[in-house]
Amino acid sequence: LKAVVVGPGRIGCGFVGQLLRDSGHDVCFLGRGATVERLNRAGGYSVHLVDGDSGCEIDVRGITAVDTADADSSAAQLASADFIATAVGAGSLRAIAPLLARGLVRRTRPANLIAFENLWDAGPCLRRLVADHVPSRTSLDMHGFSGAVVGRVVSHRLLRPQTDEFVFVGDRVDRFVVEDGALTAPMPQIDGMVAASNYEAALARKLYTYSLGHAATAYLGSLKGYHYIHSAIRDEEIRSTVLAAMREGQRGVCARHGARAGGGEVLLQRTLHRFENAALNDTIGRVARDPRRKLGADDRLIGAARLAVAAGATPVQLPLVIAAALRFSDPLDPGSAELSHDIEMAGVEDVITSLCGLDPAQEPGRSVLQSWRRLTCGWAEGNPLLSLQNLMWAWCSDPPQIPFG
Amino acid sequence: MRIAFLMVRHPSSRASPIMPEVLALLTDWGVDVDVIYPDEGAIDLRTVDVEHDLYVLKSGTETALSIAGALDAMGAKILNPYRIAAACRDKIVSTRILQEAGVPVPQTFIAATPKELEPLLEDGPLVVKPYRGSQGRGVRLVWDTDELDTITPTDGVTFGQRYHEPQGRDRKLYCIGGQLFGVKRKWPVKSFEDKLGEPFTITPELHEIAVRCGRAFGMETFGLDIVISDGFPYVVDISSFPGFKGVPDAALRLADYIYAAGQRVIAGEDLVPLPTPAPEAVA
Repeated sequence: LKAVVVGPGRIGCGFVGQLLRDSGHDVCFLGRGATVERLNRAGGYSVHLVDGDSGCEIDVRGITAVDTADADSSAAQLASADFIATAVGAGSLRAIAPLLARGLVRRTRPANLIAFENLWDAGPCLRRLVADHVPSRTSLDMHGFSGAVVGRVVSHRLLRPQTDEFVFVGDRVDRFVVEDGALTAPMPQIDGMVAASNYEAALARKLYTYSLGHAATAYLGSLKGYHYIHSAIRDEEIRSTVLAAMREGQRGVCARHGARAGGGEVLLQRTLHRFENAALNDTIGRVARDPRRKLGADDRLIGAARLAVAAGATPVQLPLVIAAALRFSDPLDPGSAELSHDIEMAGVEDVITSLCGLDPAQEPGRSVLQSWRRLTCGWAEGNPLLSLQNLMWAWCSDPPQIPFG
Repeated sequence: MRIAFLMVRHPSSRASPIMPEVLALLTDWGVDVDVIYPDEGAIDLRTVDVEHDLYVLKSGTETALSIAGALDAMGAKILNPYRIAAACRDKIVSTRILQEAGVPVPQTFIAATPKELEPLLEDGPLVVKPYRGSQGRGVRLVWDTDELDTITPTDGVTFGQRYHEPQGRDRKLYCIGGQLFGVKRKWPVKSFEDKLGEPFTITPELHEIAVRCGRAFGMETFGLDIVISDGFPYVVDISSFPGFKGVPDAALRLADYIYAAGQRVIAGEDLVPLPTPAPEAVA
């Protein structure tokens, strides 16, 4: 089987490409500039899978890469592929749709496309976007389109100076879930791929437990001044708040999709254990990045809170986590600067309404607003929170009252 | 990642879990941690070489400081750099740096013999302390000239500061990786609980003092002892790597910062930001 992976990034190389090569398939990456040059020059890359003290290095060889600036060659690769994966980030799917369309219109036989993106309707969404760029007489019906729920965290793309090749660092999870029935025959045989009849439940479980907990650890960790996920989750206050928030998210998943879909307490404890994995070197900054997207109405935080409310529960910890996300500030993250700007210009109530889709006068929006106000009283850039319980800050951010000299 | 700590061995009965916890956390996170005790046994100086990505100078002994200096000369990366640790260790140097940065310190005098401080007692008592001392050892409050006769100067230097009677508990300001924490503490301390003190939210003026100190020395990690007298704060001591007792989650915060510093070294980045000039002192 010949596979094309659009997006040679952390998930594209560090997960999809590795599993495809392990499954014996030919792999061609479509990417841009220096990344493509380096992949071709090195003829591959490494994936370092870590779990606490233990780890293993997987050498991914025999791959090729084509620069998407060469549209003809890229389209030719897509036209001859049996399987196409995208891992470009949900926000960039629209940008690659014309290229995918150009490749697909040349095809006479079906292909399967899997979008490894954090999107509720990744498969149908990709189909719609591509359909906008194919001639009206061309049908995409023979092709399969599915999203994928990725289990692995790939925290870093490093450069190995000795060989000038990429090393991707991730945890030892190989599983990914696709939509049963969304793909066309013949189904690609890929290690770790599981076709789920209730894809939405699998995605809800990942988003509203794991992703929620990951984001919560980052936003609360940022408030308390930690640098790493593995440090923040060792903080007793953060750990108990994250666990409680995940339970709130899980309750909504169980109510919507059934008790089995929620995964139970074992899943939550295993998730906390994964956050302790220091070998991932996963920074608060990386996980908390782009809070606007993570505060979307259907995303990990707000979506979980809404689902919990729909299940008849009153989220207690989720509003605090959401307020921490609204309060997140990182000079290195343009997304957080945009969010702060929006809050400053329009007011937090407006952002809670327009970005999060919550009513600040109703639960859970009301609790989010209250938590945000409590956090804002005393917050300042670089001022660590000493206690989540009583919201005690390390220093008072008011200007000096008494001159000294 | 390899990190070494220059430490003094404490009796196991000592109730100070912070550093053991820091070492345990870093080990748990996959760091290859070594502890070096410079004050134990003879050290062949030819064996002092850079074998770790990062060093942390925790010990306050002269031997440890000198070994840190030797490692620094060999190109070692030290979390609390030798130049800064040495400046903090010498109260004459550190006090002058603080004065220049506009940090309030008691009026400070040095003399070859204690007797030369005698005329100063007319204006009130002095605190005389070893100019290279730490942890309150050898500190004397001197009211009368007779008391000066009982003081033995360190290396022929007598260091004295005007006494400002403290109001309330002493303030300890700690900085871990640029993050500031305040602890109120009784003096003198009698129990471990006294040492832990009580966290407090640092006032704006104390915050400003700590920021100026950090800038003046170009350091991200330090401790300050402050007394408040007649409503005014005075910095009476500075340390480049204090005990951090009383800081909430001190061990976790320290381990997190040391781990991040080690990553910076491995990535070839600067360990400590270059010092920036302090703004003009507020008149």
